[in-house]
Amino acid sequence: MSEKRNPTSKNAFPTLKESIGSLLIVLIALSGVIILSFLLSKTPSKTLRYFFLGPLQNAYYFGNMLNGAIPLIFGGLGISLAMRSGNFNLGGEGQIYSGALATTLFALYLAPLGVVGAILALFIGAFVAGGLAGLSGYLRMKWDTSELITSFLISNAVVLVVNYLIAGPFMDPSTSLIATRKIPESFRLPVLLPPSSLSTALFFALVAVIIVHIYLYKTKSGYQLRMTGLNSRFAKYGGINTRKFIVLPMFLSGFLYGLGGGFAIYGTYFSSIKEFSAGMGWNGLAVALIAKNKPSMVIPAALFFSYIEAGARSAMLHSDVTFEIAAIVQSIVFFLISSEVLFTLFEKKRRYS
Amino acid sequence: MELAVEMRNITKTYPENNLRANDGIDFSLRKGEILCLAGENGAGKTTLMKVLYGLESHEKGTIRIRGNQENISSPLVANRLGIGMVHQHFMLVEDFTVAQNVVMGIEPRKYGIAYDLKKAVSLVNEAIAHHHFSIEADMLVRNLTVGQKQQVEIIKMLYRDVDILILDEPTTVLTELEIEALFSSLKQLAKRGKSLILITHKLKEIIAISDRVVVMRQGKMLGTYETKDVNEQQISALMMGKSISLSIKHAKRTDESQPVIECKKITVLRQGQERPLLKDLNFTAYSGEILGFAGVSGNGLGVLEAVLGGFIPVFDGKILHDGNDITNIGTAQLRRQGLAYVPSDRLQIGSSLKASVQENIIVGESRSFRKNGFIDQRQVTKHTNDLLEKYSTKGTAQMPIGTMSGGNIQKVILAREIERYQDYIVFSEPTWGLDIASSQFVYEQMASLRDKGAAVILISSNLDEILTISDRIIVLYRGTRVASFVGDEARNLSKEEIGEYMLGIRKQGASHV
Ligand SMILES: Nc1ncnc2c1ncn2[C@@H]1O[C@H](COP(=O)(O)OP(=O)(O)OP(=O)(O)O)[C@@H](O)[C@H]1O
Ligand SMILES: [Mg+2]
Repeated sequence: MSEKRNPTSKNAFPTLKESIGSLLIVLIALSGVIILSFLLSKTPSKTLRYFFLGPLQNAYYFGNMLNGAIPLIFGGLGISLAMRSGNFNLGGEGQIYSGALATTLFALYLAPLGVVGAILALFIGAFVAGGLAGLSGYLRMKWDTSELITSFLISNAVVLVVNYLIAGPFMDPSTSLIATRKIPESFRLPVLLPPSSLSTALFFALVAVIIVHIYLYKTKSGYQLRMTGLNSRFAKYGGINTRKFIVLPMFLSGFLYGLGGGFAIYGTYFSSIKEFSAGMGWNGLAVALIAKNKPSMVIPAALFFSYIEAGARSAMLHSDVTFEIAAIVQSIVFFLISSEVLFTLFEKKRRYS
Repeated sequence: MELAVEMRNITKTYPENNLRANDGIDFSLRKGEILCLAGENGAGKTTLMKVLYGLESHEKGTIRIRGNQENISSPLVANRLGIGMVHQHFMLVEDFTVAQNVVMGIEPRKYGIAYDLKKAVSLVNEAIAHHHFSIEADMLVRNLTVGQKQQVEIIKMLYRDVDILILDEPTTVLTELEIEALFSSLKQLAKRGKSLILITHKLKEIIAISDRVVVMRQGKMLGTYETKDVNEQQISALMMGKSISLSIKHAKRTDESQPVIECKKITVLRQGQERPLLKDLNFTAYSGEILGFAGVSGNGLGVLEAVLGGFIPVFDGKILHDGNDITNIGTAQLRRQGLAYVPSDRLQIGSSLKASVQENIIVGESRSFRKNGFIDQRQVTKHTNDLLEKYSTKGTAQMPIGTMSGGNIQKVILAREIERYQDYIVFSEPTWGLDIASSQFVYEQMASLRDKGAAVILISSNLDEILTISDRIIVLYRGTRVASFVGDEARNLSKEEIGEYMLGIRKQGASHV
C-alpha cells in the first residue's frame, strides 16, 4: 500500500509533503500573474507592484481584501464538510445567493425584534440554503441520483428564481440598483477597519472555522462523517448509519454557504443586489480544494484567493490592465486543482475497483 | 549457478514511523528456481519485494539483476529489467475485460496510434493458452473468481515478458483446487527458465513448491535453506523463534448451552438468477460452542457472512438472536444488538486504510466516547495502545492502519471485535494471511471466547482450520446444508470425507441434525 497521494488524509493539519501540491499551485498562479503582466501591460513593473503590494498598501485595500475572504471561508468550509463525507456540492452559487436573499427579506420583516430578529433571519437564510443542498443529498439517499449533478442543476434554477425575486416582487424602487430594500441599520455589523468595508463578520468566519474543525475532529458525529467519506463500506460495517451521512453533510454544506451569504448582507452589502454573489460559490469550491478539505487551511486558501482579486483590482486602478487578469489567474488555479482532483478520483477508482 | 537477483545489505526505514522494515538484508534468487520468502507478519517481506520492484526506495545496499548493478527507481524500470510483481491485493480495473487489463500501458497499436483491441484479445488469448490458464481474454474482470483474477495478474506480468516474477501471498484467498492449479503453472514457468519468488505463510506450500526457502524475522534475514534439507517444524521454528503446533482443546455441548443465533429456513435470492444463493438454511449457534461452516467458494459461505453481517436481506425465513427477531434489521441495528464480526474482506470492509489505527478501533464503539458527543481523545488513544499491546501488534495508535503489515491489520480488527462481543461473534476467514503464531493466537482467542460462553460462528474455506477448531461443523453445498457433524463425529472427520460433502459427491439424509 503505497499511498503516495492522499487528498483526504486524516490529519487535521497538513504535513509538508501534502501541502506541496497546493504550494505548487500557488506558485504557478503567481508566475501566471507575472507572465500575464508582461504580456498585457505596457508598464509591467508598475502593474506588478500594484498587483502584489497594492492589497497591502493601505487600510482600505487591506480591509477589503480580508473582507473578500469572508464568504470564501464559509464556502470553503461548506465544501470541505461535504467532500470529507464523500459528497460533492456544486450548488454553492445558488445556495449562497438564496441564503443571502432569505436573510435579507426576513431581516426586513423581523426588524422590530432587534438582535433576536437578526439572528433568526440569519439562520433562516442558512436553513434555506442548507435545505437546497440537503435536497440533493436526500435525492441521492432515496434514488441514488448523483448529488454532484442535482446540486448543480438545482442551484442554476435557484439563481434564476432569486434574480426574478430581486428584480420583481422585492425590488426597491427607490434606488437605481436592481436590489431589495436595505436591512435596518441596527442589523448591520460594525466596521472594523474604516474606510474599508471589513466588518466583524470576520470574527464569525473564524469562529465557524473553529467550530467546523471541532465538529470534524472532536465529535462523534464528525468522526462518523469522516469515516463514511473515507470508506463507506467500512462505516456501514461498523454500524454507522451511512444514509444519514449523505443528507447531513450536504445540508451542513449548504448551511455554511447560507451563513456566508447572510454575513455578506449583514457586513457588506446590506441588501440583496442582483448577482452580487456571482462567483463566490465556485471560489469557495476552489478554496476547499486548495485547502485539501482541512478547515484549518481554509483561512490561508481564502486569503490567497481574495489577495489575487484585490491585487487585480488595485493593478486595474493604477495601471493599464483590466480586471480579467484576476479571472484568468483564478481559472488557472481552478484548472490546476481540478486536474489534480480528477487525477486522484481516477486513481481511487483504479485502486478500489 | 547464475543469479537472477542479488540484493546486498538492503536497509529500508519507513520515514513515517521511523520503522526499520529491512535491516541489512542479503538476498539472492537463482535463475529458474522457485524461492519461498517466509517470515512472521510484519517481518518485512513485502517491503523487501517492493524495494526490488521499485515501489519503495532504500537507504543502503545494492541490487544486481543478472549480474549487473541496477538502480530500480520505479516499477517501469523493473518491468524493463524483466521483473514483475503480483501484489497481495489485486490492482485490476473491474469494468475492463481480461485483455484490456493485461495490455494496459502497452496496448497494441493499429497504424501507430489506434488501440487495436482485436489484436489485444488474440495476443492475450495466445498467452493464456501458452500457460494453460482457465480464463478467456474477453471475460469481464468483475465476473471472475478470485482465483481467476489472480491468473489475470499473473498473465499481465507474463505478457510483459518478465523472467523474474514476484508473487506476494498468492494463495491466501484461493481454494485448495485453485492452489494446485496455480502451483502447476508456476512449476511450468520455472521449467521454462523463469525465476520465481513466492511469499507465503503456509509451510506445506513451502515444502510443496520451493527449491529454496528464505526466512526473515523482524526486518532481519535469518538464513536461506535448501528446501529438501528442512522440514515443516524446522521452518516454523525458524520463523517464530520457537516451534508451534496448531492445536486447540474442544468443548462438549452441555445442558447449559443456550441457543444464541437461530436461523430458520433462510433463503436468499439474487436478482435475475433462478438458483437461490441460500436455500432453506436451518441452524442454531449455541453458547459455549464453535460452529464451523465449511464449503467450496461460491457455495454460500460468502452469502451467509453477508446475511449475518446485515449486508444483504433474506428473502424468506427468520433469524433470531436470544429469541428476538433480528431478520433484515440492517447492520447498524445488528451492531447495537451485539453483533461482533470479523469480515473476510479486511481491507475494504473490516478497516478503513487511510484512517488511523485508533479511528479504526472505535468504529461503532460507544464507551470510548464521552456522553455529550465529544470524543475523549486521550482515552481512545490509551484504549488503542492497550489493545495493541494485549494483542501484540506492532504499531502506534496514530498511524494510518494501511501502513501496517497485512497481518497486523487483521490483529487490529480481531482486537476490536473480540473486545466488543457480547454473546456471539462471527469470524469469516479469520486467518487469511496470518503467520502460524498469529493463527494460533486467533484460535486461542476463539477458544477462550467459547469457554467464556460465547457462541462462535466460524466461516472458513480452510479445511484444516475448520477441522482443528470447530466443535460442530456444517457443510454448505450450492447454498444448502448437505451435512453436519457434532462432537466426536466432527473430531474424527477426515479431510477426504468432508471434501466429498463439499463437492456434492455425498449428502447426509434429512434426519441428520
Ligand atoms: N507504507 C508504510 N509506512 C510505514 N510503515 C510501513 C509501511 N509499510 C509497511 N510498514 C511497516 O513495516 C513493517 C514490515 O511490513 P511488511 O508489509 O513488509 O511486512 P510483511 O512481512 O509483508 O508482513 P505480512 O506477512 O503481515 O504481510 C511493518 O511493521 C509495517 O507496519
Ligand atoms: Mg506482506
